[in-house]
Amino acid sequence: MLWACILLPQLAMDGILRHCDDAAAPLVLLAGPPQRRVLQAVNAAARKLGLKPGQSLVAAQALTHDFATADYDPLMIERWQQFLAAWGYGYSAQVSLHYPRCLLLEVHSSLGLFGPWPRFETRLREELTDLGFRHRITLAPNPAAARVLANAHDGLAVTDTAVLHQALGVLPIERLGLPREVSTSLVRMGLRHLHQLLALPRDSLARRFPAQVLAQLDTLLGHRPLPLEFYRPPDVFDTRIELNFEVESHQALLFPLRRLTADLAAFLAGRDSGVQRFSLYLEHRTLPDSEVPVGLLSTEREPAMLFELTRGRLEHLQLPAPVLAVRLLARDLPAFTPAHQALFDERPQQNVPWEQLRERLRARLGDDAVVSLSARADHRPECAWRESSLAHTEPLPQVGLRPGWLLSTPQPLREEGLLTLAGPERIESGWWDGADARRDYYRVQTATGQQGWAFRALTGGPLLLHGWFA
Amino acid sequence: MNVEYAELHCLSNFSFQRGVSSARELFERAKRQGYDALAITDECSLAGIVRAWQASKDTGLPLIIGSEVQIEGGPKLVLLVENLTGYQALCQLITRARRRAEKGRYQALREDLSEGPLEGMLAIWLPGHADTDGRWLLERFRERLWLGIELHRGPDDALQLRQCLAQASRLGIPAVACGDVHMHARGRRALQDCMTAIRHHLPVAEAGCHLFPNGERHLRSREELAQLYPADLLAETLRISQRCHFQLDQLKYHYPHELVPPGHDTTSWLRKLVEDGSRWRWPDGIPEKARAQLEHELELIADLHYESYFLTVHDIVRFARERGILCQGRGSAANSSVCFVLGITELDPVRSKLLFERFLSRERNEPPDIDVDFEHDRREEVIQYVFQRYGRNRAALTAVASSYRATGALRDVAKALGLPPDQINALAGCCGRWSEHIPDDSRLREAGFDPDNPVLRRVLVLTDALIGFPRHLSQHPGGFVISEQPLDTLVPIENASMADRTVIQWDKDDLDAVGLLKVDVLALGMLSAIRRCFDLIEHYRGTRWTIATLPAEDKPTYEMISRADTVGVFQIESRAQMAMLPRLRPKTFYDLVIQVAIVRPGPIQGDMVHPYLRRRNKEEEVDYPSEELKPVFERTLGVPLFQEQVMELAIVAAEYTPDEADKLRRAMAAWKRHGSLEPHRVRLTERMLAKGYQPDFIARIFEQIKGFGSYGFPESHAASFALLTYASCWLKRHEPAAFACALINSWPMGFYNPDQILQDARRHRLEIRPVDVRHSDWDCSLEPSRQAQPAIRLGLRMVRGFREADAQRIEAARQRQPFTDIHDLCLRAELEPRAREQLADAGALRGLVGHRHRARWAVAGIEPQLPLFASLPAPEETFINLPLPSVGEDLFNDYATLGTTLGPHPLLLLRDELKARRCRSSRELSTIEHGRPVSVAGLVIGRQRPQTASGVIFVTLEDEFGMVNVVVWRDLAERQRRPLIQSQLLRVDGHLESASGVRHLIAGRLTDLTPLLTGLDVRSRDFQ
Repeated sequence: MLWACILLPQLAMDGILRHCDDAAAPLVLLAGPPQRRVLQAVNAAARKLGLKPGQSLVAAQALTHDFATADYDPLMIERWQQFLAAWGYGYSAQVSLHYPRCLLLEVHSSLGLFGPWPRFETRLREELTDLGFRHRITLAPNPAAARVLANAHDGLAVTDTAVLHQALGVLPIERLGLPREVSTSLVRMGLRHLHQLLALPRDSLARRFPAQVLAQLDTLLGHRPLPLEFYRPPDVFDTRIELNFEVESHQALLFPLRRLTADLAAFLAGRDSGVQRFSLYLEHRTLPDSEVPVGLLSTEREPAMLFELTRGRLEHLQLPAPVLAVRLLARDLPAFTPAHQALFDERPQQNVPWEQLRERLRARLGDDAVVSLSARADHRPECAWRESSLAHTEPLPQVGLRPGWLLSTPQPLREEGLLTLAGPERIESGWWDGADARRDYYRVQTATGQQGWAFRALTGGPLLLHGWFA
Repeated sequence: MNVEYAELHCLSNFSFQRGVSSARELFERAKRQGYDALAITDECSLAGIVRAWQASKDTGLPLIIGSEVQIEGGPKLVLLVENLTGYQALCQLITRARRRAEKGRYQALREDLSEGPLEGMLAIWLPGHADTDGRWLLERFRERLWLGIELHRGPDDALQLRQCLAQASRLGIPAVACGDVHMHARGRRALQDCMTAIRHHLPVAEAGCHLFPNGERHLRSREELAQLYPADLLAETLRISQRCHFQLDQLKYHYPHELVPPGHDTTSWLRKLVEDGSRWRWPDGIPEKARAQLEHELELIADLHYESYFLTVHDIVRFARERGILCQGRGSAANSSVCFVLGITELDPVRSKLLFERFLSRERNEPPDIDVDFEHDRREEVIQYVFQRYGRNRAALTAVASSYRATGALRDVAKALGLPPDQINALAGCCGRWSEHIPDDSRLREAGFDPDNPVLRRVLVLTDALIGFPRHLSQHPGGFVISEQPLDTLVPIENASMADRTVIQWDKDDLDAVGLLKVDVLALGMLSAIRRCFDLIEHYRGTRWTIATLPAEDKPTYEMISRADTVGVFQIESRAQMAMLPRLRPKTFYDLVIQVAIVRPGPIQGDMVHPYLRRRNKEEEVDYPSEELKPVFERTLGVPLFQEQVMELAIVAAEYTPDEADKLRRAMAAWKRHGSLEPHRVRLTERMLAKGYQPDFIARIFEQIKGFGSYGFPESHAASFALLTYASCWLKRHEPAAFACALINSWPMGFYNPDQILQDARRHRLEIRPVDVRHSDWDCSLEPSRQAQPAIRLGLRMVRGFREADAQRIEAARQRQPFTDIHDLCLRAELEPRAREQLADAGALRGLVGHRHRARWAVAGIEPQLPLFASLPAPEETFINLPLPSVGEDLFNDYATLGTTLGPHPLLLLRDELKARRCRSSRELSTIEHGRPVSVAGLVIGRQRPQTASGVIFVTLEDEFGMVNVVVWRDLAERQRRPLIQSQLLRVDGHLESASGVRHLIAGRLTDLTPLLTGLDVRSRDFQ
């Protein structure tokens, strides 16, 4: 077997730079807690300014202000690794992300397809460069050796064991992938290169260092295999049902739809996830596919509900042409947290559970027509409630009697015949967002007996009605 | 309309994060509003009451002392003090509640009201609670209870008023109006919201439920109050305020009695101690001059009734002396003959030019002030002694009311206004470290902020208002208050953050105002070093020195000082001091007193240094502004250098009474806080002009007064410090090995780190021996040598991260039997792997196994053994040949593990390289003439930006021969910020300035040569 190691030394930086207009502008990636931001990676331009990884942001700002910052995001790195693994999968069936920021490809079996190694290597390099990832590539008879050689070489291809031993022997100890404290200890004993280490008696080494040191040396030399986990393409739910005849009515689509949603539910249950967004595609003979996007407020996997929702969305659609096939594609499969269910479900049969009702309303009336209301802790009445899609409760200040619904803009109130029932209640608040309110509120009663809530600004002006009491 | 009103419920900013106005603001506003009295009722605290009392005296508006207390699971009360008994009861109640809880909090329980006597204390019950609470309180307070009605234009004030009045009449409790005041004026509403948010760790926008709905909690006009409250509720406030007539000047403070044995009174006992002490100081008979001085002082002390104070300090010092803890007093009264014979100071006032009268006088109503410095690592013993001797209820530490500086205020406000952490950091970075002002617009623009942005405006305006506010109480480093009666009848006591520490709620200035005396038990590293040095000398030579017995006015010592050969000594070791020494060339003790005092921001800002130097070097005539001032300024050649001289000048030239002069001294110390110097300026100027003094002389004197305010150095302090300076210099001159050894053993202290002290020792040709487990103790020690001076054996304390306990086991095991090999060492000294590795890394095993590579290999091979096999020899192993470490590697490891090297100086290794780059060494520099261009490279061991030197940065470079002082002017510093800040090895091209033996390199260009060092760990003292 032959293993290619593709090392991606600047993965995080490249991942961001490939989306930047001006890759030559100084850019640093920041990590660490907010109180102590540290430069995790810097690009060449930033390095020229004297910035270097490990520096604190404050120290960097003390030097210069002419650099852009972005967050160092481990999740993003993971995404790029997956992306590159998928790319590598096109060249080898055995792709491994065993080492971080590094692709291992078994290439022996691919050489027949992609040419002798130099040509193969050139192709890999060209594609990586086009994708915008800096890289180092080495080739060795075992994956561990390939990885270690990449620490010191770029482009080295070793196919022969004897040559491999020679190449490894002159490697510095720090580059052998040993635990950091072990390599530090070794260097501090005056041992600099692998060949010095190999010359020592095994039992003396075993006495001084953990077993994994000898194991790693054996793995490098190919005496011991490296167990690898191989990359598998990601999971999506993508199922298509071809209909036996051209369907022209919604009604006839319901059966395959029920199958599809049931399959999706089973699939989700199998991998213990749920779904929040998926699409139904209706294929026509000549026209492009009709897409029915389905979005949920929360993660779900209950078959009846999935079916019900999709049906609701489907019924809104005017079929432009007969349907030949139905396809359900769900890419986004987040983890599922089941709602609490009582041991004895006492729900009467006719009642629709609230979630289902809510989704049905949303499906029928449109997403924007259904919102939740929540209260906010703010003394300004107009800020004390808001529309929000998420229910959020916070402790609220104690207030007096207030109308349940406020006018969107306060209206002047004719003052003749008004009776003041209570007040003034003085409200002065909100300076922090530029909308400081300073008002005296009164509970008033009109000549017709209607009770309202009205205020006058502390600076003077007309009495303004802010709401009616029901 | 004539409404009379006294506000009975008002918080000052000593209710931290609640009240947002100072007592002064509150009193001034209440006065303007025509109130009859103002109560300050901070939450379970009297920390701000002295300031309130001062504000009350200044405005003439009566103060009512009180406190707001929330009983846990019960009612909330405002307690007001009627008389002394009530005051004591309140102090005790607050103390109990505070001592129960962790620092900064309190826990008041119902039992606090059930147990303690409540006479003299009035209570206002704040509503919102059940009738049962009211009945319970009524039982406790009887006719001294009111129901407080607080109306703030809430949803329905009329309804609330009706309900409260109904409750009051139902329970038979009289009702009274009060305001729950949190700020002096409505304009502080934003700051109040902001502080509330800070208190709850929330951004303001999310703190809705904690904020007050409006800004009514301020001192409202009487007309407004009359609209809200029925007249009888307002009138009731006066009935309460007229009952409260207690003021802080009624407090009576007494000294502890146990200092005097039966059969004596304080006067006779002090005299007895003074007589005993005189025989101890002068075994051959007391000189006549000293006897007269003592008599005179004793008389003065008796007249002023300060015997107990001297006895108290004597008792503490006696304890320290018995334990062998070195101490030295300083302060206005410390330089007296009485203090000398009592052992409080080692400075014989007859020997110095100082006069006791200058520090303590009959006419001046000034409490004596003695601070005592103790060895820094043994001061805790003294503190615990004081607590144990007087008991925790009679001795406590003073508090420090730390206040908001610009950075802290900006951070808190910016956070409350929801700015992201990165921006908060950047904003805070715009403030100077100790700044008391918000950053100016240009500084903000430089940092990339737009000062006109409304959010930033809000942040800045609020920050500006917050700066100077008290933030929390912390513990004074060593100020003790000791009293005869329980302290909690004088002032509430609370817990400090350190376990076993209690602090009173007042700070130093408060104590002065109320007339409580305090003794400062402070820590001083140099005392530890001197005592260690004495121990080392005694051990090695068999002679025991004390500070008092060191030969006085030793010529070689003054010669050494004049050469500025003062690395490691006390006070005159800093860069600025060293630059001054060759010019001032001290020859007598009093010269040292001046030297210590002159290189301070005060004299430098007041431009006193150069006139003094010129006069001393006879380049300028010594003259006096007038004949009457000659006695005042004679000892400083006509240049005012000391705080005491300014006071004397005020008395002599401006006809101040001694009491007024003392007020001037206090104003000098506090003008930044109160800004109350202006009346003095007017008075001094008028009176001195009238007596014919020149206006520019008067103006200059006044500038100096301001300089003293921030950094003044009284002569009495300078004299005590100069004594330690002399002692340390004498030791450095005559016992340099013991002195260097003691300094390192006392580290951290002083200006130089062990490496720099050792480099200095080597330049003085002392022999220094490496750390070696076969010889080294924990401390550095002295070993016999063929030279006159013993050799210094480095101790295991030099090994970074090594633990003292391990070192002690090594010492003990070695004493039983020398170590045969490394196996024997690890086994008998029970060394953990970490300790073994540290020893190997530090090269401390070279005597047992050889160089570092071998030591590390050997140490890694040590296997844990069961006790049963302990006596068996270690298993044999094939000998392995490991490469020898290079000189560079050893150097690197020396610095990494010991922080110093006994091998060649790093610059010696680089010298050829530097020569090729045309860099001169510090030795060559001494032969180069003034004004010549020159290039030098050295390790950066210090960067200083003195506050007095506008933007100049002083860089100290070190090479194998010594140090080079570099001056970097401001524009260069800004142009070459990077090499200036980042370099460890710095090359400076510039030109040499040399005057009276002082050499500076004025930098013209800086180059970072750090890459040449790769890996050396050089720690510099940055910007301290």
